[in-house]
Amino acid sequence: MTRSRTTLARGAADATRVPTRKLLAGTAMLAAGALLLAACGGDDSDDTTGSSDSDDDAPSGEGETITLWHYESENGAMGIAWDEAMRIFEEETGATVEFEEKAFEQIRQSANMILNTDEAPDIMEYNKGNASAGLLASQGLLTDITGAVEEHGWDEMLSESLQTTARYDEQGIMGSGSWYGVPNYGEFVMVFYNQDLFDEHGVEIPETYDDLISAMDTFVDADVTPLAMSGAEYPAGQLFYELALTQADRQFVNDYQLYENPVDFNGPELTHAADTFADWVEAGYVPGDSAGLTAEDMGTSFIAGDYPMLFSGSWWYGRFVDEIDGFDWGIFEFPGSELHPGSSGNLWVVPTASENPELAYEFIEITMRPEIQALLGNNGGVPVAADPEDLDDEKSAELITLFNEINEADGLAFYPDWPAPGFYDDLASSVQQLINADASPQDVLEQLQLAYDTGVDDFLN
Amino acid sequence: MTTTQAAPPTTPNNGALPARRDRHHRGAARWIVLALLVAGALAMLFPFAVIVLNAFKTPADYSNSGPLSLPTSFYLDGMIDFWNRVNFGQKLWNSIMIAGSVAILAVIVSLFNAYALGIGRVKGRLSIIVLFLIANMLPHEALIYPLFYIANQVGLYNTQLAVIIIFTVIQSAFGTYLLASVFSTFPKEILEASALDGASKWQILWRVVFPMSRPTLSVLVVFFFIWTWNEFFIPLVFLISNDKQTIPVALGVLQGDRLMDATTTSAAALLGVIPAIIFFLFFQRTLSRGISAGAVK
Repeated sequence: MTRSRTTLARGAADATRVPTRKLLAGTAMLAAGALLLAACGGDDSDDTTGSSDSDDDAPSGEGETITLWHYESENGAMGIAWDEAMRIFEEETGATVEFEEKAFEQIRQSANMILNTDEAPDIMEYNKGNASAGLLASQGLLTDITGAVEEHGWDEMLSESLQTTARYDEQGIMGSGSWYGVPNYGEFVMVFYNQDLFDEHGVEIPETYDDLISAMDTFVDADVTPLAMSGAEYPAGQLFYELALTQADRQFVNDYQLYENPVDFNGPELTHAADTFADWVEAGYVPGDSAGLTAEDMGTSFIAGDYPMLFSGSWWYGRFVDEIDGFDWGIFEFPGSELHPGSSGNLWVVPTASENPELAYEFIEITMRPEIQALLGNNGGVPVAADPEDLDDEKSAELITLFNEINEADGLAFYPDWPAPGFYDDLASSVQQLINADASPQDVLEQLQLAYDTGVDDFLN
Repeated sequence: MTTTQAAPPTTPNNGALPARRDRHHRGAARWIVLALLVAGALAMLFPFAVIVLNAFKTPADYSNSGPLSLPTSFYLDGMIDFWNRVNFGQKLWNSIMIAGSVAILAVIVSLFNAYALGIGRVKGRLSIIVLFLIANMLPHEALIYPLFYIANQVGLYNTQLAVIIIFTVIQSAFGTYLLASVFSTFPKEILEASALDGASKWQILWRVVFPMSRPTLSVLVVFFFIWTWNEFFIPLVFLISNDKQTIPVALGVLQGDRLMDATTTSAAALLGVIPAIIFFLFFQRTLSRGISAGAVK
């Protein structure tokens, strides 16, 4: 009986070729080894988390640990400034910072899950806005830090429009209610211009809206398309919004962004935006083939020197400084408007699960100090509370001076796609139709009205 | 000679008919087929070529002359920076460990299930197989909250073990479906002969069924490894600490809110895909032997 069994087995083994067997055995061993190691690895990391928790009663005296997450690149303005802030923090408090650089995508997808567990950090960077910080605040996952804000006087360092994105009500709608975060930096949309092309065509930096139009006419007459554009992503929507803002006041912004009153898309502001945008397309101010271009295409074409002007945000600034070497360039405020798309940057938030909120506030305090703010500014960022005098870098001082002017006039009007989740896509496709001249301004406004109303209605209820 | 040898294995389904006629007629059609294949191969390789081109470019070079130009200088800093920034060696190990464990465990689980369903012929096996198939087709987004809740309750959140268990189940659902249908055509004579020889069910599985289906099993190992290797969403949500993450999750670090870094992303993508290519080349023989190899022998 034993004999026949062995023969059978051997016969079967012969049927399959030896190499497969070897490979399979090899893989199996590898995986088995890997499993073993995985088990050890898991235990190890559990131990470290355990010990960092119990560090409070460790004999070393200053042994507190604070876990900090952010998702800015390490050599960007925020990365550099926050790195220095962590160093100062460790020096002054004696606590250790356990820093992890996170992926934006990971935080976006899973913050609401992570913050519900023991794995939550003590302090983290998080996206501002109703759908991000607002949602987490309304779910009770973020600490109400109003007390700390008043104690440290952060509210006095931030303008009204910067505060808007740091405060959320019970429903998670920004603009009123308690403080849930503190921004270190801001962002805003402006016009970047190519000095060499301006000189070549004898164009001065426009100071009024009419100057801008005549400048663009000069370029069009010389067969140069004046404005780089991207219809497939945010830039076209932001230009559309800026055109509306030329006719708007703060109340319009509050209605549009904070739902204070219903928004009439056939009102003077948005009608002007749609009509003007269509005129600009017809006059050849924006490239007719830009409906399908991405923001990246738009940016690289400006870097390559193809366009005299680009209307977009301060997030490009550092990259332009690094990558433009063929020509001189500068920035100016979109003329003819007090209000511009822009807002605070992302926020420092303190999760409810934070074990060390006091230390977290201490860290925020350090990031708001002049030296950290100046460091942020010197590296191409837009600090919320910096004195241009403190900046060594001339190019950066130009950017921050412009931001401070707009900020002091309370001119940040947020972004057009903010009011409702999904409105971004509606806006992009509507403005695309304007670029392609597929639909009349009137039709576009009607589409937008419908999308805005249903979107906001869904969001609020 | 060489062309005739190379052509048949590389022309599956649609190419098979003209290829056979060519062998007798040696007409122009075979050149057309060859040209089509070359065109197809080029189309497949094009994205890869773009990645390779941009991986070795400076960001300024990319911005100035676009994604399709040749690099002006050989630039390795992007790759080196990325390697150091995310501690790539560790990510590589994590990926190999997770994908390897899942591949082996899922095949073992599939083997047990399929033995019961395909050879053991348990009652209601069709509905069980359909159930497995449905489980396999559910989008991960729908599973994520329940999985998160369970993992957090049992204390497995943010552990690689959780990811290994989840993927073992998901992959073995497909493995069970496939193996069960392969086993349902398993030669009865062999099973009966071994039963007559007095082999128990356990012995039949390990001494008869397992050795005979080894080619199929090794193909499954390769598939499960590569599928798990490429998984993004569940590892993204479950592996919170950086030192536990896999390569696709590490690539996510480069995707910003508004800006993308095309050259570093290309360099990183190249780094991420090389191990999978090496693995594939290693096991290519196993793959080409085909899933059907073990069915009837």
